[in-house]
Amino acid sequence: MSEQGAELKAEELQYVQYQADKEETYLPAIRQLISRDLSEPYSIYVYRYFLYQWGDLCYMALDSSNALIGVVVCKLEPHRSGTFRGYIAMLAVQEPHRGKGIATKLVCMAIDAMAARDADEIVLETEVTNTASLKLYERLGFLRSKRLHRYYLNGNTAFRLVLHLKPGTALKRPIAVELGIDQPGQYQGYPSASHDPMGP
Amino acid sequence: MAEPQLGHAATSNNVVPVDGPGSSKEASSASIGLPLRQAMKQPVAEIKIHDITDKFTRACSALEVGQLVKDEYFTLFESIGALEIMDPKMDSGFLQPGEASEDDYDTLGALLPEELIGIMDQLLCYEMAWHTGYPLSQTLFTSVYIDKLLWPEPKVLEQAQFYRGEITDDKRPGVLLEVLRAYCLALVKCCDFAIARITSRDYFEEEDFCTHTYNRVLFVQVPMNVFQRELDASVERLQDGTEVEINPILRDAIVARLQFRKDFLTALDLDVPIDHLEAHWQPLLDGLTTITTTQQLGKTVPGSFSLKIQRRLASTVPPRPIVELDSADAFSKLKQLITDCKEATRFPSLPPDPIEYQNFLWAFASRTPTPLPYSRSYLANLLFHESSISIPLADMRYLVFPASPILDPTNWTLSPPRNPMLPKPPRLQLAILIDDFIDRAGQPYLEFWTALGQNRCRLRRMLNHVISAWDQLQSDAGVVDEDLKNVIGQMNAEGQVLDYPLTTWVYHKKLWMMEKAVLLGFEQDIYLPDEYAGMYLFLNNVSRKRKDLLLTVKSDFNNRLSQLRSNKSASGLQKAKEVQDGLLYIDSLLAETTATLELGLALGKFYVALLYLDLIPRPKRPFGSEQCRYELRMKNFLNLHPSEVTEFSEFNNHTKPFGPYEKPDTDEVDYTKDKIFKWMANPTFWSGMEEHVRRAKEACSLLRKLGPQAAHAVGVREAWDKEVQSTMASCVALGVAVLGLKLAAGAEGPRGITIEFPTGGQGKRYHEGWVVGKVIKV
Repeated sequence: MSEQGAELKAEELQYVQYQADKEETYLPAIRQLISRDLSEPYSIYVYRYFLYQWGDLCYMALDSSNALIGVVVCKLEPHRSGTFRGYIAMLAVQEPHRGKGIATKLVCMAIDAMAARDADEIVLETEVTNTASLKLYERLGFLRSKRLHRYYLNGNTAFRLVLHLKPGTALKRPIAVELGIDQPGQYQGYPSASHDPMGP
Repeated sequence: MAEPQLGHAATSNNVVPVDGPGSSKEASSASIGLPLRQAMKQPVAEIKIHDITDKFTRACSALEVGQLVKDEYFTLFESIGALEIMDPKMDSGFLQPGEASEDDYDTLGALLPEELIGIMDQLLCYEMAWHTGYPLSQTLFTSVYIDKLLWPEPKVLEQAQFYRGEITDDKRPGVLLEVLRAYCLALVKCCDFAIARITSRDYFEEEDFCTHTYNRVLFVQVPMNVFQRELDASVERLQDGTEVEINPILRDAIVARLQFRKDFLTALDLDVPIDHLEAHWQPLLDGLTTITTTQQLGKTVPGSFSLKIQRRLASTVPPRPIVELDSADAFSKLKQLITDCKEATRFPSLPPDPIEYQNFLWAFASRTPTPLPYSRSYLANLLFHESSISIPLADMRYLVFPASPILDPTNWTLSPPRNPMLPKPPRLQLAILIDDFIDRAGQPYLEFWTALGQNRCRLRRMLNHVISAWDQLQSDAGVVDEDLKNVIGQMNAEGQVLDYPLTTWVYHKKLWMMEKAVLLGFEQDIYLPDEYAGMYLFLNNVSRKRKDLLLTVKSDFNNRLSQLRSNKSASGLQKAKEVQDGLLYIDSLLAETTATLELGLALGKFYVALLYLDLIPRPKRPFGSEQCRYELRMKNFLNLHPSEVTEFSEFNNHTKPFGPYEKPDTDEVDYTKDKIFKWMANPTFWSGMEEHVRRAKEACSLLRKLGPQAAHAVGVREAWDKEVQSTMASCVALGVAVLGLKLAAGAEGPRGITIEFPTGGQGKRYHEGWVVGKVIKV
């Protein structure tokens, strides 16, 4: 892909932060764009869960007629590992507009926003076979931290990707441990049957 | 599903998985102050109906149109579980105009023999799809026949029919339907056995296996022989031939399937005695061959499987597609399951030796394709079957207590003095200290074995946790070691015992696990090519420590040996023989870790050179910093004692011995690109690397020469041999690659070559953990 051509094209787009009072304007388009690649659509509550609480971490690429070309949806909250953790939940760009650096731009905006809000780290999952997505994030500085067997409903395996924004993030520990309290929730060798992809 | 497509700069790559939400388990600290919540807490004594219309309307008027209110308890997990009614993709009860909610397939309609074969084989495919991790609702429970048998729930097995209630005689199912019923009943019982087996061990619902039965009871209470009898009766009726006349080829194919089902059921039986295990799996392999070769006789009956049944199975889950595993895949999975279980049955006959067990578990976990959850549970059940030896004790005996007074059996025969105020005899104190420590070590040891029984991805992650557990154990071992030392001092037996034996044993195991964890990272493509250098150098560091530890152990063995030989008593010589034999094990461990150390170092240096030669892509990485990434990589090892992770600056000294990889072409820096290229053009630059490759090969040869006996791996001789050979092959490949670089190096940098990194899991590497870049001429 030609980076220069991509940038010229990309210039025509405007990148805007989502606003909660514009749900009616944007949410239907966001849903449509994201669910295009899902066998099973998310209910509206999934979108609202993110957008209601972290609308300011959602960025959209709009063309000159305000049509939605790309979107990134995130959250940022204290994680039980002791870090202030950002999570990129969804990222999509309309098929004809792929390869122009739009997704990269959206992700960069989201990372900047999370960094400005003092995030320690940013994580996400992506399918092990999704080379394009892996490249995108790895170019930005993400490393693979885990391989998650049969992570997706379709049976596909995922990589967890992680970006540490601050030195010392890897040393952060759950608060209870710092206080010297034994945590029953810590690894005991007998895992619960739950699948918590955000787990330690 | 998020489709993995090449060539898209940005597909909608990462989306939260529908079944596995994010940090949904956050403990909400908010007080439970909502009236509705409190109302829900009330005991449901009597139902009172309140009209809340007014209240509701009033409350609503306080909100703007479109304004959202979020309940504090509404988590991501709940949002993902939510459905929108009347959306056909989410609402499983939604009917298209004119669509019926039930199928009109007649389960009493007569079947052709071909159709019976087709249905049986289709069921087998779905059964295997279920074994690979898909839910019953998308596999076996889409069968209209199975649905009829299980719902409404039959009170007795007799009620489990393809109909319910009374029917007229002319409607009664014919022989072929009865045969299908017997087959289905046994199949359901097989599922019951599989679930019971898997849930009795550690497994992970979403990633390994779905145990959900959607309120269907899989004949849990009905004993196995009932199903065997039904199958036998079916075979008899078919072979008798008076009721129905079938082409003998078709009849034999059906009989083979019934026989296979019976054998499978018998093999899956939970109560099968441990000494007859292996006999159950071989016939299955033979039976499977017959099924495979007669599969083309079958004819599919599309209407006999339906997605609509899902509506009645689970109302809170969107409709999900039937999982189509083609028959070739299904049969190969089944064959794999049988072969793996058969392999697992060898476990009880292994020499009673924890290292043999460990080698067996490692080899089993390393089988390709990776064993299915059922096979892993099957082995785990055998593994945790009662054992007559104390596993941790036997393990440490081999490594640190050669003919040691600490483990002298007589220590355990002494009684404490009657007067509790008097000190206990030293030997008794030793026994008590060891017993207590063995107790303490039990849990970490169990966790270690449990990790070895997980799927490969989980194994890597779990090992990292187990390493922490052993790190804790190591600090406890240090305390006990001091106590042991005091007692040994009282006995004037200082020279006969290694210093800090328990710490040494724990530390050695921990380092072994760390080596494996790093190699698994390579195997699972966790590291990017520009991280290879650093990670192989880290691996080298870990195995260097293990080697140092083993050298201390070895010198203790030798001391002990000369002591015992100088004592010419018969028991002394007998013990000397023991120590002499034990030395072989230490030598084998030394050879193994030396191979890792040398190959790791050679590869580390190789990749450092490639980085300077710009032959490895280095992403720009505008976010984060190198130091952050180093910390992230070392995260699992940062808190270990003694410290295993060097300072970042120290790490840099090794990965960037000539300064940054990007070089300004001026003399202001110590090493300009020019200088580095010139240096690399000199063959001596590569001779260090070649030397390490040579030593790695030498260690592999020695390891092989010492053989599986010395390694305590006679139970997995072939797998062990293959492992050593593939490490050796990796050394050879690296030698070739280094030569390629050497030839291509010139004063202006390497000419006309690129490096190809063989991807993992595709048979492109000699050893999955050793990624050897290939030098390709362009």
